[in-house]
Amino acid sequence: MDLQLTEQHLKFRDELRAWLRANLLRPWRDAVRDPHATEDSLMELRRNWQRKLYAAGYLGMDWPREWGGRGATAVEGAIFEEELARADAPQILNFLGIDLLGPALIHHGSEAQRRRFIPPMLAADEIWCQGFSEPGAGSDLASLRTSALIDGDDFVLNGQKIWTTFGPWADWIFVLARTDSADRHGGISFILCKLDTPGVTVRRLRQITGESEFGEVFFEDARVPRENLVGQIGEGWRIAMTVLAYERGGASLAYATRLGRDLAHLAAACKENGRTDAATREKLGRLLVENEVMRANGIRSLANFADAKVPGPESSIEKLFWSEFDKRFRETALDILGPGGQLLRTSAEARPDVDWSREFLWSRAGTIYSGSSEIQRNIIAKRVLNLPTEGR
Amino acid sequence: MKFDLSEDQALLRQSTRDFLSSQWPPERARRVMEQEPRGYTQADWQRLAEMGYLGLILPANVGGQGLGAIELAIVLEEVGRACMPGPYIDAVLAAAVLAAAGGHDALLRDIGAGKKLVTLAFEDSPFRGTRVTPTRCEGARVRGRKYFIPFAAQADALLVATPDTLWLVAKPFDVVEMPTIDPAQRFGEVTFDHAATAVGPASLLQRIDRLAAVSASAMLLGIMSRAMEMTLEYVQTRQAFKRPIGSFQALQHRLADMLLKTESTRSAVYRAAWCYDTNDADAALACAAAKAYAGDAARLVCGESIQMHGGIGFTWELDLHFYFKRAKTLEQFYGSTEVQLERALAAAGFQP
Repeated sequence: MDLQLTEQHLKFRDELRAWLRANLLRPWRDAVRDPHATEDSLMELRRNWQRKLYAAGYLGMDWPREWGGRGATAVEGAIFEEELARADAPQILNFLGIDLLGPALIHHGSEAQRRRFIPPMLAADEIWCQGFSEPGAGSDLASLRTSALIDGDDFVLNGQKIWTTFGPWADWIFVLARTDSADRHGGISFILCKLDTPGVTVRRLRQITGESEFGEVFFEDARVPRENLVGQIGEGWRIAMTVLAYERGGASLAYATRLGRDLAHLAAACKENGRTDAATREKLGRLLVENEVMRANGIRSLANFADAKVPGPESSIEKLFWSEFDKRFRETALDILGPGGQLLRTSAEARPDVDWSREFLWSRAGTIYSGSSEIQRNIIAKRVLNLPTEGR
Repeated sequence: MKFDLSEDQALLRQSTRDFLSSQWPPERARRVMEQEPRGYTQADWQRLAEMGYLGLILPANVGGQGLGAIELAIVLEEVGRACMPGPYIDAVLAAAVLAAAGGHDALLRDIGAGKKLVTLAFEDSPFRGTRVTPTRCEGARVRGRKYFIPFAAQADALLVATPDTLWLVAKPFDVVEMPTIDPAQRFGEVTFDHAATAVGPASLLQRIDRLAAVSASAMLLGIMSRAMEMTLEYVQTRQAFKRPIGSFQALQHRLADMLLKTESTRSAVYRAAWCYDTNDADAALACAAAKAYAGDAARLVCGESIQMHGGIGFTWELDLHFYFKRAKTLEQFYGSTEVQLERALAAAGFQP
């Protein structure tokens, strides 16, 4: 057992820190408070930030160099996420493309697809959204009904996607569509579709935070060339599951850093407001303890990455931990702060340190997206604990 | 970087598990807890000494193995799993205090060899609160009363804390037993009017705060791991409504949460042990967090285990209650959750 970062990893971290000091002009919390900021201008800020990171060679961390990646490992990837969280950097614009589609193309795509799609994905020239959930297929994703019928050299897409993260901001969508209505899992294929294709309509949905980060996408006889199929016909489910495991694993360390920073702000607020009673101390203490345990989980998975261990279904434990803890953290923060914690960031009285009210609302999303907590518990019960399936 | 145990560490785990399963099969642990008034036997203690467990972290010059907190955590996790009764953790911690004080090599040698038992006496009141009359020192005599002294009736000497100083007090002691819910533990109340040797300042006890936290949380990890195993086995064999109860989602989701608590405790305990051994800047925070989390987690996991066993879970006949009770003792001693929360806040620089 050895939890010390190697010299090489420390060097990477120190260089990245120095780069962030020189290149991150202001932290995200200040950018969102700019009186001229709009949802659109913040998206452009994220696009430019992504381009800066790409130019400096910090994107596609563990992807092969030939596809524009850095050729490093998942360890550098986790350090990167942690350092960006520490610096309160904006999230890159094309995170769905890079976090989800990129690995799918590298593992399952054709060479032509990698050449065509990866460079503009990294450069934020083509923004991707994720077309998985449907009105009738959320947690039960495999019941999806959007169809892709082969017609000559094209697929013809019909159906509807919903909760499509980044739908209103994207140029392309990766879609799970049904190519065989009789085969529940084996009848699903993974298809790339441009959003300006005739027959494709995108509608914004307003979220509880007031933002429109997600939307819905309608397909009416939309024609997509067959070359936009990733992997083979019927491999879509398998590809999606690999990709989701990526999305779930390895985030604990960055979360612990972010929440640790916010907790320090909360403790400072308590001191400022004379909130030093034992009840408040206990609440702070419990958040601190849980955050440190989450950090330990993150260090453990970092060490496992370094030890060349591929995360399996146990990555569901990490996702369940951080998403549930984030909710408790934000709720407790508002309890401790009192009514001022509910102020929108546009209020003159709102605290400048953290956008407490937005984080409180946003924390409700984490236990729903990327497999709800209920789905994570199913995965843990069935695939880690090997418990028997409920009979019908 | 590597989270898994090294080859030597894995070997230590395996040999300890083998040793404890031959020496302390559940029937025997139960018999000793129920019938042995001392709570363990001298023969058991000698075996632990011969196997090197009593001197595990003591330096080589007093006959110890000079191993670190990771190795101690490995052993204590197994001790927790086996629900081994006796003063193992108490003896290890008292020896750590003496080693930190220096100048007690002969005594440490005897402790490591199983010839002498020393434990810590620092509870001035049976209940938490501020109305406490501390033990004091008059001349070279320690006068006053201490409570919850681990295995006081078997101890050859006790480390007794007065407000400023830590004293070594030799037997005989007039011990009033303090029976608690935990049959694996023996606590005693002792009224002191004894000649004493100063060991050092009372702050010496703080030198083992972190080690005590890691040690107790490692035992808690072993305890909850075993409770979880027993429960997983039970829910897959016990049938209700014509199917194994483990197939019901209502139980599956709670079992998933129990695994989350157990595995997160594992991350926290071994990270804390590593930080302790490497003198990492995060050591104080990591140790306090591990203990505070493990105490809650073990109570939850053992409690849910009893619930999922139903009526049999509430019987003395099933071993689960021993684990549930051990978990409660370990949660409240070796730095209670309340104490650990304050330590964590102080370590993070969150002063009131």
